[in-house]
Amino acid sequence: MNYRRLLAVARTESIHNLRDVRSLFVIVVLPVVLLLLYGYGINYDLRNVPFAVQDLERTELSRSLIQHLVSSGYFQLRQVIHDQRQIAESLDRAAVVFVLVIPPDMGRRLGAGRPAKVQVLVDGADTTRASVAVGYIEGALLAFSGKLGAEYLARQGLSAAGGLDVRPVVLYNADLKSVRFIVPGLMAILLTLLSGLLTSTCIVREREWGSFETLVTSPALPPEILIGKILPYVVIAFADTLLSIGAGALIFGVVPVGSRLLLLFTSFLYLLASLAIGIFFSTIMRTQRLAILTTTLVTLVPTIQLSGFAFPIRSQPLVLQVISNFIPATHYLIIIRSLYLKGADLLVLWPRVLALLVFTVVLVTVAARRFRKQL
Amino acid sequence: MGEPAVSAQGLTKCFGAVCACQGIDLTVAPGEIVGLVGPDGAGKTTAFRMLCGILPPDHGTARVAGYDVVTQSEAVKARIGYLPQRFSLHRDLTIDENIQYVAELYTVPRDEWQSRREELLEMTYLAPFRRRLAGRLSGGMRQKLALVCALVHRPEVLFLDEPTTGVDPVSRRDFWKLLHDLPRQGVTMVISTPYMDEAARCNRLAFMYAGQVLATDTPDNLRRQLPGELMQVRCRPQREAREALKRCSAVRSVEVFGDRLHVLFHGTADPMLCERLLADAGVECLEQQPVEPSLEDVFMSLVSEHGLTATATGNGL
Repeated sequence: MNYRRLLAVARTESIHNLRDVRSLFVIVVLPVVLLLLYGYGINYDLRNVPFAVQDLERTELSRSLIQHLVSSGYFQLRQVIHDQRQIAESLDRAAVVFVLVIPPDMGRRLGAGRPAKVQVLVDGADTTRASVAVGYIEGALLAFSGKLGAEYLARQGLSAAGGLDVRPVVLYNADLKSVRFIVPGLMAILLTLLSGLLTSTCIVREREWGSFETLVTSPALPPEILIGKILPYVVIAFADTLLSIGAGALIFGVVPVGSRLLLLFTSFLYLLASLAIGIFFSTIMRTQRLAILTTTLVTLVPTIQLSGFAFPIRSQPLVLQVISNFIPATHYLIIIRSLYLKGADLLVLWPRVLALLVFTVVLVTVAARRFRKQL
Repeated sequence: MGEPAVSAQGLTKCFGAVCACQGIDLTVAPGEIVGLVGPDGAGKTTAFRMLCGILPPDHGTARVAGYDVVTQSEAVKARIGYLPQRFSLHRDLTIDENIQYVAELYTVPRDEWQSRREELLEMTYLAPFRRRLAGRLSGGMRQKLALVCALVHRPEVLFLDEPTTGVDPVSRRDFWKLLHDLPRQGVTMVISTPYMDEAARCNRLAFMYAGQVLATDTPDNLRRQLPGELMQVRCRPQREAREALKRCSAVRSVEVFGDRLHVLFHGTADPMLCERLLADAGVECLEQQPVEPSLEDVFMSLVSEHGLTATATGNGL
């Protein structure tokens, strides 16, 4: 191994990236845009869910129910409906997410000690939002009902004894802020995108340009060429890792609870694995376009689909759950989420870290063995 | 003079059913300029790649600069310069950066390549353009840059694969001036070309056709090798003339050179016979004279001797 040859390759590769607008975009602009877009844009938290009310009872009780919903902070009353036909219309316009219909006999039934029915019509077009909204509504109504029950008992001179008192305590992400979940996921996406996509072109590009012949006819050894090629991307991807950790902390206030060293180490492993995948396709594909396409197909798509970034793994078919184990991103995501949210340490995480390490070693070996100093 | 700079025996390389090289023998003495001459598809590039140690031959052996091209390919690579047919430097690097890149790939010490770079840029008149991106250079300048890069590590043997193809005539002349200076610096050269005028500038030639070396000798000896004498005929209509001449048993072959026919006789050229043949065919003879054979005549004759067909433009495989 000769470090001068290695550095010559690395320097040239860096110059390509600095002089190519497209790769500069991928390196600098893409991470920032993605981070901001995802960090602000993707938000599973619901606040101020707009709703409408058709109050057929119009009593003290019905008004206090509406007040109860509004004061929770999760719901915002946008419209009071007087006509049945307005319900469908305002849901169709997506002006509100749900319509609460209070029956005229709610108070009477409750007063008679019978259950009263409240109707909630939810716009299910956006299933994610709808299911979250339904959960919130149920919770709010249940609380209201409990309050009524307690008041009733109190009026009877009794205290609310017995029954189940459910008090869920959410650990790790106490106020269930989804940004804490998204920022680590985004780091995985970024690393996959950057390391995979950038390296997927770096060998095949030289083949297309004809400059690979200079390398092949030179006395540079395959490992010198390979490491020289990868080195700039390791630096770039690692810098982008630091950038997203920093942006996560500064912009979104998301700070890892666990070991930062372990976070950096596993991120490094993961970016090496992604780089190796990119390099692998760069050595076997004939054109840059093909290399980019296949790399995206085997890295980014499964990373988003299967890694639990967007969809929970447990809600996916068993086959996909099994497959997800063979994607480095799955393990990396679990590791960094644990580090960010739970503060887990190596004692707990070692199987995942080991899996990632094995992936990295295997992928780098395969890519290195596949690389030939041949035209 | 000790060991030859290049010695190859029976180099063979097949790609599936197509054999690009079939038993190439070649010996090049130090300081020689040897030309590989042949049409596209003759196997020149494949021969070069085997000699440069980047393509292992199926059969045969070769030693270049004292090392075996198969077992010691990296040692060979360190001692040769190779100028591939296709421009193979980085278009988004400047002239200076490309030279530095190549110099460091060959681990030339820094102060050495820096002075060597100045010297070579001076020699090729590229110095004023040193900060220009290679992609913005003209074809002739690109080839000069490629030559500079191939020379920066002071190779013992320089392989040039059709370096002037696609380069304008003035730049071609400049380029050859540069090449002619190199043997004095102790560089041995193997150069491939489809142009016979360039071939004439070499010390020795190897005529290649369909993966084989048909003949190897100095240009003068090759010209003398032509079996029989040559008559140049200008006549109308040419096609009939050619057919008529070909039918005669005393005529070995007839090749078309623009508006002239080169008639090769078995033995001495017979102007009377030629005239009679043309008259019988009803062809008007405008001019006929005996001529010295050109390298192209020799090449065409060798090709037809091997029972292979070729046109003057030459299209092998």
